[in-house]
Amino acid sequence: MPVAVGPYGQAQPSCFDRVKMGFMMGFAVGMAAGAMFGTFSCLRIGMRGRELMGGVGKTMMQSGGTFGTFMAIGMGIRC
Amino acid sequence: MEEYAREPCPWRIVDDCGGAFTMGAIGGGIFQAVKGFRNSPAGINHRLKGSMTAIRTRAPQLGGSFAVWGGLFSMIDCGLVKVRGKEDPWNSITSGAMTGAILAARNGPVAMVGSAAMGGILLALIEGAGILLTRFASAQFPTGPQMEDPAPMPAPSFGDYRQYQ
Repeated sequence: MPVAVGPYGQAQPSCFDRVKMGFMMGFAVGMAAGAMFGTFSCLRIGMRGRELMGGVGKTMMQSGGTFGTFMAIGMGIRC
Repeated sequence: MEEYAREPCPWRIVDDCGGAFTMGAIGGGIFQAVKGFRNSPAGINHRLKGSMTAIRTRAPQLGGSFAVWGGLFSMIDCGLVKVRGKEDPWNSITSGAMTGAILAARNGPVAMVGSAAMGGILLALIEGAGILLTRFASAQFPTGPQMEDPAPMPAPSFGDYRQYQ
């Protein structure tokens, strides 16, 4: 298959690009999921006000990092 | 991951199961390495040994539970494809919710509903992100037939490929 380097640059994204894209996508998904589930669980254990903001933010970052890592691996093993 | 070229249906189950096992094993290896390193007594030898032990015991378990999730998910997905006769994001969302419900079946109906909601929301988020990503990334990474566009294009015209369609 003749793959020319077209005017858009590379024809296919490289492996590292895909891994990076997977990490970004997973991070976004994980942040959204962490915002939802973190709000519920922090409200359930009785956080309010500023403490609630901190707790939700922490959950969001944690689940974003976890999801991003797994998604990056999932992209990485398929290329 | 969902929006790209996937296997045709019966083989997708095997593909997803193995992919999920690999993903869980590698990811679990990374996280358990850090956790075992931090939870060990002081001294680099103890820490490395603790990290190896944690990886050996926990990473295959995590891979196995990922594989169960992935295999059941794509079994239900393929069943829905067969029953409904079309492939769309609702298949994935429904099968995510049903997978969550089935895997929590031994914990009672309340846990089933919670787990189903979690699976459905997660899969909806992933599908939405995939759709958004393909919509935006097709501007940067064109694949397939639109590369055969014979029109000579100015070099720095990234992004606004839509005007040629």
